[in-house]
Amino acid sequence: MSLKRCTIHALLSLLIGMILGSCSSADPIPATLVYGLTLAPSGLDPHLHASAELGIPLSSVYDMLIFRDDVTGQYVPGLAERWTISPDGREYTFYLRKDVIFHDGTPFNARAVQANIEYVLDPENHSQKALSMLGPVSSIRVEDEFQVVFELDDAYTPLLDSLSQVYLGMASPQALERWGPAEYQFHQVGTGPYQFVEYIPNDHLLLRRNPDYAWAPEIYDHQVASIEFINFLFFEMDATRAIALESRQVDIMGEIPFREAERLSSGDGFTLYPIAIPGQPMQFYFNLNREPTQDRRVREALSLGLDRAQLVRTVFGKRSPLARGPLSGVVFGDLLVDAPAEYDPETAANLLDQAGWVDDDGDGFREKDGQPLALTIIAPTWGGNTEAAQLMEVAWEALGARVDIVTAQGFGPLRELQSTGNYSVIGINFFGTDADLLRPSYRSDGFFNWSGIADIVLDRLLDSAATVIDGQSERDTQYREAIARIMDAYAVLPLRDYLNLVVARSNVKGLRFSIQGWFPYLIDLELSS
Amino acid sequence: MIRIWAGRIAWIWIGCLVLIAITAPLLAPHNPRTPIGEPITAPGKMAVLGTDALGRDLLSRLIFGARYSFTSTLAATLITVGLGLSLSLLATTYGGIADRLLVGLANTGLAIPGLLLAMLLVAAVGPGLPTVILAVGLGGSPGFIRLSRSILNSYIHEGYVDAAKAMGAGHARIAIYHLIPNAFPQLLALSTTHYAWAFLGTTTLTFLGLAGDPALPEWGAMLDAGRTYLVQAPALSLLPGILISLTVLAIHQIGEGFQSS
Amino acid sequence: MVPVPDRSRTQLLITIGRRLVEGLLTAWAAVSLTFFSLRLAAGDPTYNLLSQGLATAQQAEELRQALGLDAPLWLQYLRFLRDLMQGDLGLSLYTSRPVGTIIAEQFRFTIGLALAGLAFALLVGFTLGIAAAWWEPRLVGRSATFITNLSTSLPVAFTGILVLFLALHLSMLASLPGLNTGLILPAIVLGITSAGPIGRVVQASLKESLESPYILAAHARGLREDARMLWHAFRPALPPVISLTALEAAYLFSGTVVTETVFARPGLGRLLVKSILEGDYPIAQGLVVLAAIFYTFSQLSADLAAIMLDPRTRRSA
Repeated sequence: MSLKRCTIHALLSLLIGMILGSCSSADPIPATLVYGLTLAPSGLDPHLHASAELGIPLSSVYDMLIFRDDVTGQYVPGLAERWTISPDGREYTFYLRKDVIFHDGTPFNARAVQANIEYVLDPENHSQKALSMLGPVSSIRVEDEFQVVFELDDAYTPLLDSLSQVYLGMASPQALERWGPAEYQFHQVGTGPYQFVEYIPNDHLLLRRNPDYAWAPEIYDHQVASIEFINFLFFEMDATRAIALESRQVDIMGEIPFREAERLSSGDGFTLYPIAIPGQPMQFYFNLNREPTQDRRVREALSLGLDRAQLVRTVFGKRSPLARGPLSGVVFGDLLVDAPAEYDPETAANLLDQAGWVDDDGDGFREKDGQPLALTIIAPTWGGNTEAAQLMEVAWEALGARVDIVTAQGFGPLRELQSTGNYSVIGINFFGTDADLLRPSYRSDGFFNWSGIADIVLDRLLDSAATVIDGQSERDTQYREAIARIMDAYAVLPLRDYLNLVVARSNVKGLRFSIQGWFPYLIDLELSS
Repeated sequence: MIRIWAGRIAWIWIGCLVLIAITAPLLAPHNPRTPIGEPITAPGKMAVLGTDALGRDLLSRLIFGARYSFTSTLAATLITVGLGLSLSLLATTYGGIADRLLVGLANTGLAIPGLLLAMLLVAAVGPGLPTVILAVGLGGSPGFIRLSRSILNSYIHEGYVDAAKAMGAGHARIAIYHLIPNAFPQLLALSTTHYAWAFLGTTTLTFLGLAGDPALPEWGAMLDAGRTYLVQAPALSLLPGILISLTVLAIHQIGEGFQSS
Repeated sequence: MVPVPDRSRTQLLITIGRRLVEGLLTAWAAVSLTFFSLRLAAGDPTYNLLSQGLATAQQAEELRQALGLDAPLWLQYLRFLRDLMQGDLGLSLYTSRPVGTIIAEQFRFTIGLALAGLAFALLVGFTLGIAAAWWEPRLVGRSATFITNLSTSLPVAFTGILVLFLALHLSMLASLPGLNTGLILPAIVLGITSAGPIGRVVQASLKESLESPYILAAHARGLREDARMLWHAFRPALPPVISLTALEAAYLFSGTVVTETVFARPGLGRLLVKSILEGDYPIAQGLVVLAAIFYTFSQLSADLAAIMLDPRTRRSA
């Protein structure tokens, strides 16, 4: 056998071997839908961790006491058949369904609710989001096997909205007990239409249909799920998401860059679902406690000196709505009265002059008392924040400032950078469906008050609006006033209302999202052939 | 024949790039950080190579990229050669314990692959271009030390060195007047090869996002940033990548030229 | 030649023993380097928790005592070494899960990729090296040499993106499902850079072997210039190749860092980048420590393999 033939044989067999090997490793599981997630969150337990991403799979693993209609915003029964609120707003009584079973076979009852809330309230568990959503809830009382009472220190209007979200979904007390706060996230047990099968960090999360699901709330179209398996894969990088859809590695994925979304949906193979996400818009807080942004004129100048409409168009495309205030136009549109001022670089320059920042030496940069006008932008790396930061840098350099961008790769590093206080603007936003969302961010002692605003009147408005029991219009008036104060102080630079571009293959039917915007009703999904 | 031409082309290419790097502010048609038009446009009058995702001129960014990539690599290589050569010279001229110590140190450093060592340093200090430069400079040192030491060692036992010692020449004199001049061609070849490694090293670290500044017009960072648009505007990623590859290839070619001379 | 088997065997054992000790010392030094550089630069990890509001001052103090951070640095270092010997790499800063568990979860992805990459590198490296040595003066040989040199110049990042680009366009044109979801493409990308050095060593040592008196004599005795001659020339050429392969295997880990990033695959490389960018340095520390140990081990194997396979030692032992 000649050398050449030897070589060719060897190469061919190896190549064939590799191809075959690769094929068999992609063995398809029956009736599986693959859903692409974007962030691989550092923690997956909704009771303890804060990311919205985790809710995408988990809001179908858990049921909530109540649900909220995605069209009308009204509250409908979930695991609770009905509920009453005491006149002073400090006691909520829930009458629970009697026919609900957890995925591990244990029964759902009032004691289960108590175990869940206490799990969230326990300071040792360091709940990042669910705890603050409970507000002044101090304890839970089991009145009867299927009757439970929430006791609050104060009236708290947002409680119903909180209880309708996955962060306060009901988990099996037996599972919580067995695994403990660190490991439970890998063994989650709820009552929902899908069961948690396994989670390998950075690799995949697998859900399986719950065939015994018999207590679907009225907001679902289907009574039980039709797709057997849903497998979630992670795609942190923008670059890989459209590719994953095109190569059929996934069937549905959100946060597709807008150009790719438009390109994919222009053909027959894919459908685009643009979903507005209520809550805070994509925004940057100004630092009110540090030079030079301490000066309101500087903040106003920086706001006027940025062409926000062009920024949003460049980074997010024509679809994305410009933000009109510290809350999104969807769900909160009535509360936003005055739109922020238009782009006006001349007034911006004048304001800076008035504030004492002038360019004496003609080098293109402004100084005051020998100090340069130096700005630091802290931008998280998700959601287009770094791109926006780069355009902000350009705009403010044109105004004569020296600008530095510091990027934060995750919420942890972001929080750490924030705690140093060395920033002029910092990007962060939270989603939500109740205007009380403003309170942790704008109350003077708010946990996420990263602007450092300290306005007593604002504090009182935010506190008061959170305790209004009935009287939606009274609440709305108070929030309108609060928002006006926030915008007048230039505490925040709102950029765009969040629009999640979800692209799905055209054979996926029934894709609907909850009022929170992020969470799909997996139970209603169907795959047509 | 081809070899000679390959060498010449390599020199011309590097020469052009160095020229571009030096004259970047004059040569580039636009500011690499300022948007000049709509994002992701095809090549046209305003932007000869088109614009990137934020509307900045790709050509200007590539031109400044030459400057950033070359100078950061140069700085890193200077760190490596400066540190590595001094230590090697000391070890070789003094010999004995100093030499053994250095070998041990170098082996320790070599126990961690250069790229990982650099990443470790960035992890300790935090992202940023100066950190990347320092990290690549230090990360490449163990390898450089080992190789330069063996080069220098091959000359320390030459007759003229012994003669110089017999005449009472100090260590410094030996190093400067005897070792370096003789070892120079090989050291030059080594440094050049090392420059190529450092070029790949810095562009890889910036590709991984360790440079900190998202707007940085540097080839490795651009390679990363362009990935999102691989289908719609492949030039954003492919052009910096091709430039990096050609440059490293050319540097290797030049290094081989030194080696054989 | 009078055979003196006992002394040579003792020599062999002494050499092996010495290399082992050197290897251990190097590994220890590298691990210590990792520990000190991270600890000195990164500071007190409980501060991170405090600044994120994940612990009150009281809890942070308790945690510091529990983690032994109130002890002097040298004591912490000793405890670190002790934990390391027991396989305890500490806890992730953000999720409090054991670093060892996190690494173990991602390990299988990287090992699969690394082995596939090594296989590809060996395949291509050997092919190129053999072609370059066997057909040296002809075009085939010279092209092989050129490709070998080229592969060491290509940055892994660029190769990855280029391959991804081509695959994407090909699959779009041909409507092929998921060609790039498999292991093939990342393995090719990973292997290309290692294929170069392997090819060069194969070429050099095979050439030397082909020109050795041993082969020339066999040729003179009638051995034809074909596969059998190649086979005979091969065996003495192997030792340096095996040494290099062991070294390259360690370098593959660096390669997986970029390859996993480009192809968005899970694995230790991505874990390292992520932990560095996020500042979760116990994970970064654990990974680099493991890499150092692994690399020292493979260097040791390479050295030992070279010793064992050296015909001189084998003949006399």
